[in-house]
Amino acid sequence: MYEAVHAHPEGEATVARFARTAAEQGYDGIVVRTREAEFDADAIREEYGVDVAAGVEIRADGPGSAGGAVGNFRPDFTVVTLRGGDDALNRFAVESDRVDVLSRPMSGRGEFNHVLAKAAAEHGTRVEFDFGPVLRSTGGDRVRALSDLRKLREIVDHYDAPFVVSANARSHLQLRAPRELRAVGEAIGFSSEAVAAGLAEWDAIVGTNRRRLSEEFIGPGVKRGRYEEER
Amino acid sequence: MKHLPKHLRPRWRYLAVGLEAWPDADLSRRTFQRALWYSAGNLLGDPGSADADLSLFDFSFSEGEGEALVRARHGHVEAARAAIACISDVDGAPVRVTVRGISGTVRACEERYMGRGSGNSVRRDIAFAGSDRPAVVRGDAADVETDAGRVGATPLDFE
Repeated sequence: MYEAVHAHPEGEATVARFARTAAEQGYDGIVVRTREAEFDADAIREEYGVDVAAGVEIRADGPGSAGGAVGNFRPDFTVVTLRGGDDALNRFAVESDRVDVLSRPMSGRGEFNHVLAKAAAEHGTRVEFDFGPVLRSTGGDRVRALSDLRKLREIVDHYDAPFVVSANARSHLQLRAPRELRAVGEAIGFSSEAVAAGLAEWDAIVGTNRRRLSEEFIGPGVKRGRYEEER
Repeated sequence: MKHLPKHLRPRWRYLAVGLEAWPDADLSRRTFQRALWYSAGNLLGDPGSADADLSLFDFSFSEGEGEALVRARHGHVEAARAAIACISDVDGAPVRVTVRGISGTVRACEERYMGRGSGNSVRRDIAFAGSDRPAVVRGDAADVETDAGRVGATPLDFE
């Protein structure tokens, strides 16, 4: 299972510190959502036994600039997520084949509905269940976040849209172990299996995109390899 | 009053919880206990908290690292784990909580999961992001003071 994090300079911990903590908590790897983060993935893997995937979380004002950013970053980053929270951006993300994850679709004024869920299923854009506010906020903010999560869950469930789960940690102190997230998920109406699947989905994204970005890959279903000599 | 017959006595599970915070955080048994109860109350509600019946058995914390032993009722361990996971700060200080393991007795829990501190912390300057900065180094973790606030790092970032 992987967790996707906001590292220094955006967050309050370096990628290495996240990796050290993630290893202690039983994660197989982390996805770095911060484009500016500096790290040496090989050294980290050697030291802590945790895989690190480079990613970017695009924050755009509208679909136009988001499209440009996706085009720019897609070739260089294993995981491309787009911060939602606005109807036009949510729609753009779920209809784009090149965006892996629509993060925080319900934050701000963002809404999610059956049309977006169907598009997400069709285009393979994962919808993120952000557990951050459940873990870290209180009072009315938390109630709103919980009811948004419930709504999103019902829609995503019904249309079988792909999804990921994350605590959206901005420091090593905000990371929670997979078992903890599963327990929290059960307390707020998710099944433990769904949360585990949401964490494992990050692995799937990393695996697929690494294959796609590798040199052997030419197009879907086409790759360079040995030709068949005999039939 | 007479003790309950054995089959009616509550059965308990003991959760070993690892704690981590910034080096200047000041956590006490009382403030952590309050955070635990609030977290359970907010996540599980009054009935759920009463069912889980969490109580803090043991607590130690110094220099940004510590551990706690939390007792929960058998059969409500997952609810207890969720409540513990939702402790994000104690008295305003951000903390990380990780359930290291669960046992049926205090002793087994202590022997298996407690007493894992990584030793004393040292204050020294380290080269981070282009200049020397004050840091607190504990084992292979370093909390660095930068102009923009604190940053958690490891030796991989400055050696």
